[in-house]
Amino acid sequence: MNTDSSKTAERILGGTAVGKSIPHDSAVGHVTGAASYIDDLPCRVDELFVGFVGSPVANGTIKSIDISKAIDAQGVACVLTSKDVGPHNIFGPLFCDEPFLADKELLYVGQPVVVIAAETEQALAEARNLVTIEAEPENPIFSIDDAIASEHFIGPTRRIKRGHPIKAIAGATHQLSGEFRIAGQEHFYLESQAAVAFPGEQNQLVVHSSTQNTTEIQTMVAEVLGLSMHQVVCICKRMGGAFGGKETQAVIPALMASLVAQRTGRAARIVYDKDTDMCVTGKRHPYRCNWHVGFESDGTIVGLKVDFFSDGGSAADLSTSVMERTLLHAENAYYIEDIEINGRVCRTNFPPNTAFRGFGGPQAIASMENIIERVAEKLKIDSLDLRLINVYGDTDRNVTPYGQLYTGNHLTEIMTTLAETSNYRDRIAGLDQKNKNDSLRLHGITMTPVKFGISFTTKFLNQANALINVYTDGTVQVSTGGTEMGQGLNTKIRQLVADEFGIPFPSVIVMPTSTEKNNNTSPTAASAGTDLNGAAAVDGCRIIKSRLANFAAELLASPKDGLIPSPEHIAFTDGMVRDRRQPNAGMTFAELTRKARMERIDLGARGFYKTPGVDFNRETGRGNPFLYYTQGAAVAEVSIDRFTGELSVERVDLLMDIGKSINPKVDMGQITGGFIQGMGWVTAESLVYDDGGRLLTHSPTTYKIPAITDLPIDFRCAMFPNDDNLHCVRRSKAVGEPPLMLGIAVWAAVKNALTYLPSEKDPNLKLPATGEEILRCLTEMEC
Amino acid sequence: MRDHILLFVNGRQHRVSGADAFIPLSNFLRERLALCGTKIVCSEGDCGSCSVLCGIADAASAKPTFKYAAIDSCIRFVYQLDGCNIVTVEGIADNEKSSGQLNSVQRAMIDCHGSQCGFCTPGFVVAMTGMLENDDQPSERQWRRGLTGNLCRCTGYTPIVKAGLQCSQNRSPKINECFPPAPMVAAMSGISDDEIRIEHVVGEATQTIYCPTSLEQATNFLADNPSAKIVAGATDVGVQFNKGFCHSEIWMDLNRVSALKHLKLAGNAIVAGACATWTDIENLVEKRLPQFYEIVSVFGSPQIRNVGTIGGNIINASPIADSLPFLFVTGAELQIVGKSGTRKVNINDFYQGYKTFDMQPAELLAQVKIPLPSNDEELRLYKISRRKDLDISSFTAAIRMKLDGEAIESCAIAYGAVGPVVLRLPETESFLIGRTFDLNTMEQAGYIAVKEIAPITDVRGGDEYRLQLARNVLKKFFHEVRAAGALA
Repeated sequence: MNTDSSKTAERILGGTAVGKSIPHDSAVGHVTGAASYIDDLPCRVDELFVGFVGSPVANGTIKSIDISKAIDAQGVACVLTSKDVGPHNIFGPLFCDEPFLADKELLYVGQPVVVIAAETEQALAEARNLVTIEAEPENPIFSIDDAIASEHFIGPTRRIKRGHPIKAIAGATHQLSGEFRIAGQEHFYLESQAAVAFPGEQNQLVVHSSTQNTTEIQTMVAEVLGLSMHQVVCICKRMGGAFGGKETQAVIPALMASLVAQRTGRAARIVYDKDTDMCVTGKRHPYRCNWHVGFESDGTIVGLKVDFFSDGGSAADLSTSVMERTLLHAENAYYIEDIEINGRVCRTNFPPNTAFRGFGGPQAIASMENIIERVAEKLKIDSLDLRLINVYGDTDRNVTPYGQLYTGNHLTEIMTTLAETSNYRDRIAGLDQKNKNDSLRLHGITMTPVKFGISFTTKFLNQANALINVYTDGTVQVSTGGTEMGQGLNTKIRQLVADEFGIPFPSVIVMPTSTEKNNNTSPTAASAGTDLNGAAAVDGCRIIKSRLANFAAELLASPKDGLIPSPEHIAFTDGMVRDRRQPNAGMTFAELTRKARMERIDLGARGFYKTPGVDFNRETGRGNPFLYYTQGAAVAEVSIDRFTGELSVERVDLLMDIGKSINPKVDMGQITGGFIQGMGWVTAESLVYDDGGRLLTHSPTTYKIPAITDLPIDFRCAMFPNDDNLHCVRRSKAVGEPPLMLGIAVWAAVKNALTYLPSEKDPNLKLPATGEEILRCLTEMEC
Repeated sequence: MRDHILLFVNGRQHRVSGADAFIPLSNFLRERLALCGTKIVCSEGDCGSCSVLCGIADAASAKPTFKYAAIDSCIRFVYQLDGCNIVTVEGIADNEKSSGQLNSVQRAMIDCHGSQCGFCTPGFVVAMTGMLENDDQPSERQWRRGLTGNLCRCTGYTPIVKAGLQCSQNRSPKINECFPPAPMVAAMSGISDDEIRIEHVVGEATQTIYCPTSLEQATNFLADNPSAKIVAGATDVGVQFNKGFCHSEIWMDLNRVSALKHLKLAGNAIVAGACATWTDIENLVEKRLPQFYEIVSVFGSPQIRNVGTIGGNIINASPIADSLPFLFVTGAELQIVGKSGTRKVNINDFYQGYKTFDMQPAELLAQVKIPLPSNDEELRLYKISRRKDLDISSFTAAIRMKLDGEAIESCAIAYGAVGPVVLRLPETESFLIGRTFDLNTMEQAGYIAVKEIAPITDVRGGDEYRLQLARNVLKKFFHEVRAAGALA
């Protein structure tokens, strides 16, 4: 009886799609090959293939550009340089400092100089070889150290400081300091950068782009081509992966296609091949971290100072924002009373480095966890104990260095729960003997936590709008500025909207992202895609529901029973619209929409959402930049070959607090995928350049992302039950980026394994811990 | 002589001649047939997004049957596919029997959330379907081992493995049931042994591809066209072609020469035709030679091993070729044929310098005979690479040793990636022979070994790294042999 009534209550309250692991919105298309990407769009008869010729040097000036042979080549439609671009050749998301086509200065190898459009791919390939760019080379800068020495920076030093760290460190019982090096990472989205541009009437352009940010493409195409924004439409149906790499860097290919379309009046397509994509697009920022820490014998860290330097590449792109997030995550999960964090972006002669899942957070957290490992090793105490001593408190020790009160903190509970479920203590206790018994391999185990702030740290980006179209058969189209890159955004939005109207999931479709429907949108980034766009969609639904409820209240009122029209009692569930006071009456949602149209009730709405209460003053380094935090922890066990340095990840246990999941399997996919991507960054993924600044690892032959056999042999992932996140739509939490930082546990476990060598030396392990790097440490420690 | 090939795609026949015969299969599918489910990412067989199933009529079978295996369509030329039935991701769902029904792999990938961005998904669906062709119930380990040729950047593979395990519970119709082989075999009847010669005029040049079916035809053609570029598995030449590093006007494809495909264990030796594929070798040595099996099983990926040949690995002459250290320490014998006859060369005498070897223009490698070590010998093979699977070696080694009590009776050591060719280490070997097999001896041997090699620094590792590995594998060998002995 009780059960029945609670079921009825649940039905009347609605909510049948949210919380279910409904398959990905495009799953059927994915598995049948029917899902279409940019290069799958059929070619228009007049379509041109577009490509470019890039800078032959990493630094220098253009002496001459000879395009005469290419212009005359058969099948070539046009050859364009900066002279054809007009006065607005410079662009950039934060600072306008990046040339679209180099006109004088050359800043990195492969930097676009000449754009070619041809009738066939073959003709394009041949024409590219006919262009000569003569350059006067200058001394390039290829390292953070050289950039610091020659004072090549982007933006000012940013600082977050609390208390008197120098004094606190000096006054502590123990001090340690060091320099930690972190390398970059290639996004390796499977679908390379691509765009198709179609010219239209009144100088309009429609650009299909594989982009996380349709508004950015629209804005940049308009600016650079001398158009107004209303003349440009950017559409993104889906991306074959992005991971931050298409937040800003989809602009250049979109500009090339658009420029050709504008100049020729013909459709124009550009699809980078993998090698080109990897050579000319930016990556995760390499970092140098110089740190000083002071701590007591019980492990309490009393003072910390870290100076971060990132390699921003040749232009600003998003580098200063990335550094900002580094500063905001430098202490990771730990409360440190006296702390100073400085960050500076270095200018080098590489492609502008850019957003990549985690956005500066991973480098900050790796830096902090390296420090924790060093302190634990120095004090010879278990690193988990050290972490639990220093972790943020619930009621005190709960203010971040930038002044935000850390609420909803479950870190201690997460770490202790995970320690139990992973049998951490027993396994650690057995490790010494395990290592003594094994003449071939060294074993290590480490737990690392993550606390990741959710919201754009740039306030104005924390907004979204959504267009809801309800049709008279009761079906709904939703459009938002959010882009689908595989993360399941569209699936979750369908779930949210279906539940708002109380209609079945299939009755809702999410339409391709287009600036025509959603203007002035933010990039789908910062893990906030669902938080922002989902909330905007829900807002749009509620506007329509309010109109419909008023109307339905009239229809369902029953004066003879003494029931006057009461919109508050109208419920949308099970595809039905009912008055709760007489639940046996009612009509289908479709019937209501039909009647509503006849009564001239608007069945469309635009929803809007802006994140409340977030702001950050980057000048003072103080503020409330985040709406809430996503948190979690990972235990990794690894073994390394004592002779070759080869790594095997034996077991990994993950526990993530992602609130009340809108779609548990979609979110679990983010957790496993993010973790493995993070593991790749800290282990095998290694960018190698030649002396001239050319990337040598420019394809999967040489750049090794994790393969299926790199999965931990034993891999256990779980979600921490938590429904206290009142800040976010349906009490969910953002999940896209945080799990990536759990991959750091694998790196820390390697470092832990090295400590079992009978050596006094610190395993000064760099990141990534490639086999070569591990063997270097093994050799150094044994000497 | 035919001037075209007959190719089946999802059971439908296509007659291909001229320019279309020269392009990679992936481009043919996408651009000529609008089958855009097949994705192109790397154009070098290193990601598996372009995976398709290639069905070849099984000559040994009494009733018409095709044997299907996953291949990377980006590095398979159309001219290599005469008589083959190519099954794409579109064909897996949409075929006559099941009229658009999803197969068990597709259903499981949907249920288990095996796709996120979806770009790698068609390749996975195809590769997984291919695995189920040969095994109804792969284990978790087999699913992992079988999908090393497909990269996914989104999912962390976990849901894909789950999907695989779900497939192991639900049998799908086999491809032979979906695409009846009889009509395709009938269409090829009487023409499958035709020589094929396709020409295609590009500007002032003429491109020619010749596909013989006998060794004699091949050597005759080569005698007349000594500059012809020879293609077998195309797993390397396909990459070179796609990246614009390989130009030739005359090509000869050995795929249809059945006399080059034999493979057997004869007495105490493996006898392999030059075009025996690595998949066939992997299956042959699994039980008999577990050490070599380990190396072969991480050679490229299943897609690569399904077409890559032992002859190709030898003639490609790379100092990092995975099979060579083993062939060196076993003293493999190469049989080389020309129009004028046959000769034999020990592989230890074959290579002369970087990518140069003892072969005349117009000669062909026909067969490799590998004498196997006896059971009382120790053999260890090492492949060190940045990633365990589907990676090119940073360092390779083969150590073969016979012990007489505690003394080393004989030994052979070969290292790869330490010079322009794979090297034997004669001084290290002679130092070791007669000495006591202990850690001290092996450490000393390491110091001699590094004087015999001259590794360089390149994209796969530094010279110091390689020197250290050269020293350490000798110690590793010692510990492994000792550990195995202790267990025994």
